[in-house]
Amino acid sequence: MNSVISCQHLTHYYGKRKIYEDLNFEVPEGRILGLLGKNGTGKTTTINILSGYLKPRSGTCQIFGQDIQTMDPALRRRIGLLIEGHVQYQFMNIEQIERFYASFYPGQWRKEAYYELMAKLKVAPRQMISRMSCGQRSQVALGLILAQNPDLLVLDDFSIGLDPGYRRLFVDYLREFVKAERKTVFLTSHIIQDMERLVDDCIIMDYGRILTQQPLDTLLDTLHRFTARVPEGYDVAFSDADLFHPSVIRGTLELHSFLSSDEVSARLTANGVPFSDLHCESLNLEDAFIGLTGKY
Amino acid sequence: MFYKEYLKTRWYLLLMLLTTSGFAGYGLLRLHRVAAVNGIGHAWEVMLMHDVVFIDLLEYVPVICGLVLALMQFVPEMYHKCLKLTLHLPVSHLKAVNQMLLWGVAATVACAVVNYAILWGYMSQVLANELWSRILWTALPWYLAGLAAYLLGAWIILEPAWRRRIVNIVVAVLVLKVYFVSEQPMAYFGFLPWLALYTIALLSFSWISISRFKEGKE
Repeated sequence: MNSVISCQHLTHYYGKRKIYEDLNFEVPEGRILGLLGKNGTGKTTTINILSGYLKPRSGTCQIFGQDIQTMDPALRRRIGLLIEGHVQYQFMNIEQIERFYASFYPGQWRKEAYYELMAKLKVAPRQMISRMSCGQRSQVALGLILAQNPDLLVLDDFSIGLDPGYRRLFVDYLREFVKAERKTVFLTSHIIQDMERLVDDCIIMDYGRILTQQPLDTLLDTLHRFTARVPEGYDVAFSDADLFHPSVIRGTLELHSFLSSDEVSARLTANGVPFSDLHCESLNLEDAFIGLTGKY
Repeated sequence: MFYKEYLKTRWYLLLMLLTTSGFAGYGLLRLHRVAAVNGIGHAWEVMLMHDVVFIDLLEYVPVICGLVLALMQFVPEMYHKCLKLTLHLPVSHLKAVNQMLLWGVAATVACAVVNYAILWGYMSQVLANELWSRILWTALPWYLAGLAAYLLGAWIILEPAWRRRIVNIVVAVLVLKVYFVSEQPMAYFGFLPWLALYTIALLSFSWISISRFKEGKE
């Protein structure tokens, strides 16, 4: 499968603060990849680098085989960009903004896709964008992307500021569009439940590095939460790279791991943990995210 | 791109045209009043003997109008970093920026042409060629200053980092001072081609801000 996005050895600092070092990832064609990470782990930095609005300290990013820094402007026809906060030109109204963008995408612009979504908003055609709620603006931004009909969609925190209804509308429309047309999507969001409904693959980032990149199904099939009874007063005193974020709350040891129950049991025994009654639970994406990145 | 610039600035451009034309008209009213009260000969005399140009109230108006035009055009681009949308359009960044600037430059020049037409229309009826051309040549550096103020305003507003923006403001003030070194009529006459080139060179300044924006400077 061809990679639509390929980032190699990305390193970036803000001043002396390292955001990440030697980051590598690829987004295969026709897949929806979600980038998850706590605040400050570099999600928006990555989107900004991918959009060409931030020059990384080192490393390269290619989209459709072209380096982002020297990309042919015509290639941007194939890339739909949603900026954090669903930013759009405030001084335009619904009709004006459609007319403006349509002139840049002759032959590919699908006016009806935009107006179909606008009809759901029940706003006047001359409604100014500046007078819209964040939810309404998100639909304008999405409608413009659907009308542009790009091969790649880059969406920065698409759920920010949206109430559950608009979030659901956004996700459903987007999922239907990308699945029907085999589009590639690279997105970030703070709302992990939305990601779970949408993404095929996910990258989970921690400060300075990628913790895991794999298909969502594989992640949820292989990562588990393990709980076990430990004696009163026991505190975690071991470190094992395959047992993530072990903690004890009221005599219950909790940890996350890609290992099987037998392997976890063997590792705990090897680490001298006085445990009993080991349980293994499946996870949703939010639990998996917390399991890998920790609660703090 | 011009459609976007038109939507942002249409009402302000109308206001700018009315304001500058109003100041030009007021200058002509002063000339008319002097001619009506003391005779046109007296008006000629004060122009020659006391370096009066009658439209001196117009001196800083183009600068203010140029700065406000830059604000009207580029503040909406920097609001929530909307400029990212413009730079994501499938045209070269240089072309996109030049088209935005071209709109502002064309609007400023068009406004100056209308002002000049108003001034010339009346003055050529009551003043000798040498006198009305002296007034129009005297006003030209003011209009070039308006153009410079617009271009420097764009450079300042498009700059992504506040600290650098303050440096740009200081530089812009120093650059603009060049247009107002002397208030003597025709003082800039021999220097006007250089002043025009100097103004055109300011077109490139905005590209510095855009390049810094693309590098993610904050």
